[in-house]
Amino acid sequence: MSFLIAQSLINGVILGTLYLMMAIGFTLVFGIMRIVNFAHGEFYMIGAFMALIGVTWLGLPYAATLALTVVFAVLLGALVERVVFRPFRSDELSGMIASLGLAMILQNGALIFFGPDPQAFPAMVSGVLRFGDLIIPKSRALTLGIGVVVLIGFYVLLMHTRFGRGLRALVQDQQVAALYGVRLEIMYPLGLGLGIALAAVAGALMAPLFGVSPFIGAAPLLKAFIVVILGGLGSIPGAALAALLLGLIESFTSSFVSASAADIVTFALVVAVLLIRPSGILGRGEA
Amino acid sequence: MSDTSVTSPPKRAGLGSLGFALCVALLALVPWFTGSVFHFHIAIMVCLGAMAAAGLATIAWVGQLSLAHGAFVGIGAYTCVLLVTRLDMPFLVGLPAAAVFSGAVAYIIGTPLLRLRGVYFVLITFALNELFRLVMLEFPSVSGGSSGIAGIPKISLFGWELRDQSQVYVFTLLMLAAVMALLWTIRRGPLGRWFSAVEENMALAESSGIPTARTQNMAFVIGSGIAGFTGAIMAHYIGFISPVTFAFQLSVSYVIILVVGGRLALAGPLVGALFLVPLPEFLRSAQEYQHIIYGVVLIIVLRFLPAGLTALPGKLSQWRRSGE
Amino acid sequence: MKSRTILAAASVLALLAGNAAAQEQTLKIGALVTQSGAGASWGNGMLRAAELAAEDANKDGGLEVAGTKYKVEVIAYDDAYKANEAVTAANRLVFEDKVKYIIGTVGSAPILAIQPITEEAGVITLTLGFTAKALSADKPYTFRPNPTTAEVAQPQIDWLVASQKIKTVGALFPNDETGEAIAKDIGAAYKKAGAELTATEFFERDRVDFIPLLTRIVAQGVDAIELDGNSPVTAGQIVQQARDIGFEGVIIRTGGPATQEIVNVAGKQATEGMFVHSAFNPAVETAAAYQKRYSDTYGEAMNGFSPFFYDGTKMLFQAMKDAGTVEDTAAVKTALENISGYEGVLGTLNWTGKDAYGIAHQLDSPFYIARVEDGNEVIVASCTTAGCK
Repeated sequence: MSFLIAQSLINGVILGTLYLMMAIGFTLVFGIMRIVNFAHGEFYMIGAFMALIGVTWLGLPYAATLALTVVFAVLLGALVERVVFRPFRSDELSGMIASLGLAMILQNGALIFFGPDPQAFPAMVSGVLRFGDLIIPKSRALTLGIGVVVLIGFYVLLMHTRFGRGLRALVQDQQVAALYGVRLEIMYPLGLGLGIALAAVAGALMAPLFGVSPFIGAAPLLKAFIVVILGGLGSIPGAALAALLLGLIESFTSSFVSASAADIVTFALVVAVLLIRPSGILGRGEA
Repeated sequence: MSDTSVTSPPKRAGLGSLGFALCVALLALVPWFTGSVFHFHIAIMVCLGAMAAAGLATIAWVGQLSLAHGAFVGIGAYTCVLLVTRLDMPFLVGLPAAAVFSGAVAYIIGTPLLRLRGVYFVLITFALNELFRLVMLEFPSVSGGSSGIAGIPKISLFGWELRDQSQVYVFTLLMLAAVMALLWTIRRGPLGRWFSAVEENMALAESSGIPTARTQNMAFVIGSGIAGFTGAIMAHYIGFISPVTFAFQLSVSYVIILVVGGRLALAGPLVGALFLVPLPEFLRSAQEYQHIIYGVVLIIVLRFLPAGLTALPGKLSQWRRSGE
Repeated sequence: MKSRTILAAASVLALLAGNAAAQEQTLKIGALVTQSGAGASWGNGMLRAAELAAEDANKDGGLEVAGTKYKVEVIAYDDAYKANEAVTAANRLVFEDKVKYIIGTVGSAPILAIQPITEEAGVITLTLGFTAKALSADKPYTFRPNPTTAEVAQPQIDWLVASQKIKTVGALFPNDETGEAIAKDIGAAYKKAGAELTATEFFERDRVDFIPLLTRIVAQGVDAIELDGNSPVTAGQIVQQARDIGFEGVIIRTGGPATQEIVNVAGKQATEGMFVHSAFNPAVETAAAYQKRYSDTYGEAMNGFSPFFYDGTKMLFQAMKDAGTVEDTAAVKTALENISGYEGVLGTLNWTGKDAYGIAHQLDSPFYIARVEDGNEVIVASCTTAGCK
C-alpha cells in the first residue's frame, strides 16, 4: 500500500509540473495583457512539433532543440502580439475572441502542414529508475528534472531581474508601471513571448512522453483553465498551488479509485471552489 | 445605397432596415425558387444557426460571452429527445420543456458565477462545456454514451409529422421569427435598457440602481433558454445526438456567427448565420482551409469591423463620404 | 431581338451538350468520408480506394452496365467525423448531386445520423463504422465491407492464449459504450479461451497519461495487456508507457489495422514483439500490388482499411453489372448480397452477419495474426472465423 502511495505521489508531482508550466504561461499572459489566450494549447502543440523537427529532421541534440524552441516561441509570441493582439489591448472580450480565431488558424495550419497522423518521437532515454519497489521511468525523471529547471529559471527571471520586476509591475497596475518607466512597447511582446515559450517548452518536454499530433493542444489547455480557475486568474502562487493539487488529485484517484473518477473529482472540486470562493483559492476577487 | 445617403439620418436608418428586412425575406424564399431539397436543408441549418446565435446575442448585450452555449443547445436537445422517446410526450411539450430546463440550469449556474466581474465568467463557461460532455459520457443509460441516440423521431405537430425538408423549413423559419420577435421586444422594453446600461458601463449602471448581477443572469437565462429551444429542434431534425455533437467547437461556431454578424445589433445573428452557415459548402472537401478562413475572417472582422457585418453598409457610406 | 438570338444559340448549345451526354453517361459515386481532423487517415484511405476502383473502371472506356458505358466520377465531401456535418453532406449528395451510392462514413455516429436519409432514398452505403447498430434488417441499403472486432476477436484470442501460455490479462478501455461493449466481448472471449481478464481499467477518451492505471495493472502481475477498442494513438501511448514502467509481458491488439500509427507513437523499440490483428498479408500478391499502387499514386503509406473499400467498391460495380442497372438500387442491393466467393485483393470475400446483425451485410474476409518486428508486421498465423493456424 505504501508503495502505491509513494508511486502516486511521484506521478502526481510530474503531472503537476506539466500543468504548472501550462498554467503559469497562461496566467502570466492574462496578467500582463488582460487576454484570455485560447490559443495557449496550440503553442504547446507547436512546441512539440518544434522539438520533433529539431530532433528527428535536423538531428540536433535534445538540449539544443529545447533552447531553439524557447527562442522561436518568444519570437512567435512577439509576432502574434504585434499582428493579432495589439489592437485589442483595452478590450478583454475582443482579445479573447481573437485568440479563438488564432487557435483555429494554428491548429488547422498544423493539420495542413504535418497531416493528421501522430508522428513518431524517438525516446530520449529508456529504462527505469528503481528505488526498492518504486519505479520511475527515466523518461519521466528527465522531463521532471528539466521542467523544474525551467520553472526555477522562470522564477529567477521574474523575481530577480529588472525585466521581471517590470513584468510584475505591469501585472499589478499598468498605468503606474508606465509611470515608473516600464516600456510597454517592449514588455507586451516579450511578456506574451515568455508565456508562449513556457507552453512551447512544456510541449517539447512532453512530446517524448505523450506523442505529437496537431490535436494535442486541447487537453493541456483545459488543464491550464482548471488550474487557473482553482488558483485564481492572474495569481502565480495560486497557479502553483492548484497545479500541484490537481496533479496529485488526478494521480491518487486514478491509482486508488479509477481513471474516470479522477475527472469527476476534479470537476467536483472546480464546482465546489466556484460555489464557495468563486475567485479561486488565491484570486483577487475581481479578475 | 447611393440615394439613401442624401436623406436625413433617422429616415435613412428606417429605409435601411426596411431594405434589410426585404432582403432577408427574399433570401428566406430562395429554396422555393430553386426547389432543391439540399437548399431547404441549408436554409434550415441557417435558421438553427441564427437562432442559437440569437441566444448568444442576448448574453452579449450585457457584455458577457458564454462558451458553454453548445452545451446548453445539448441540454435542450437531450431534454426534448428524452421526453419524447422515453416518456412518449409530444414534441410540442418537449420543445418548451427544453427551453425551460436549459434556462433553469443557466439560472443555477449563473447565480453564483455572475457575481464575478469580467472574463472570469467566460473562463468558467469553457470548463462547464467540457463538464457537460464528461457528465453525459458518464451516464450512458441517459445519453447513449459516445454512440449517442440515433433514430430520433421527426418533428411532429399535433400528430402531423414533418416529413419533408420544406415542411421542417417552414416550422424552423416560424420559430426563428418568434425568437427574433422575442429579442426585439426585449430590446424595446425596460429590460433592454438595463441590458445596454450594464453593457456600456457596469459601475455606472450599478450606481444608478440597476442590479447588475441579476440583469446579467437574466440575459444568461434567456440566452441559454433559446439555446435549449434550438437544440430541441436541431435534434429532431438531424435525428441523431451524442455528447460530442455539443462539444466546445459548437460553442465556438456560435461565437463566430455572432461576432461576424455583429455582437450588439439585433440583426447580427441573422447576418452572421446567412454568411457563415452556407460558407462550408464552397469548400466541402477541404475543411482545414475552411477553418483557417473562419479564423482569419474572425480576426479581421474584430479588427476592422468590430460591430460586425451588419455595420458594413454604414461603414461603407462613411468611408465614401470621407473620401469625397 | 438580340436577346432572342442569344436564347436560340443557347438552346442549340444545350441540345448539343445533351447529345454529347447521351453518348457518354456518367455514374456519380459519393465519398462521404472524414478528410480533416483525427479520422482523416481512414477517410483518405477510403476515398482513395474509391478513386482507384473508379480509375480501373474508366480505364477501358467506362463501366459497362447493360450495354451502356458509364464514366465513374467520385464526389468527395468531408464530414470532419461529425454527425451534423455528415447529415449536411448526405443531403447534398443525395438531393443535389443525386448520387445513388455512397462510400462512407468513417465514423459510427455519422453513419447512424445519415441512415434515415440514405435508407429512405434507397442509397447504398458502404460504411466503416464499427457500431453494431449500423447493420440491421431494417437498414437494407447499408453494407460494411470490413470485418470488426466481433468477427475477428475469438479465433485470434484462442490462438494467442494457447501459443503464448497466457493465464491473466489486463486491459484498458475508453470509458464509453463502445469501450464497455468491447470489454464485455473480449472478457468473454478470453474466458472461453481458458484465460482470465483480471484487471480492467476505464478512462476518458482524451487521456494521455496512463502510468497510474498501468501501475495498478502491472502490480497485479498480468501475463498480457490487451489494447482492443482503443484508438491507434491511445494504443500507442499505452504500449510506450507500459514498457516505460518495465512491463515485459505480451501486448496484444485483437482488432483494427493500426500497426503503423501505433509504431509511430510508441516507437519501434516499445512495440517489438507485440501481437496485432492484421487484414493484410504481403505474401498475397494482389494485396502487395495494391499497397504498392496506393503508395506510388499518393506518396503515402497505405491505410489498413483501404483495400477493403477498394474491394467493396469493385463488388458494388460487379453488382451493378449483375443487376444490369445503375438506377434501380433495390436490384443492385440484391445483386450485391448475392455476390459470394469474390476474389478481392485481400483474398476470397463473402457476406456474413445474419446471426449477429439480422442481415448478411457484413464482410467476411481472411485475416492474420502478426508479430511486430522492427516496426513491421510479420504474419505468424492465418485465420478464418473458424480458427487460426
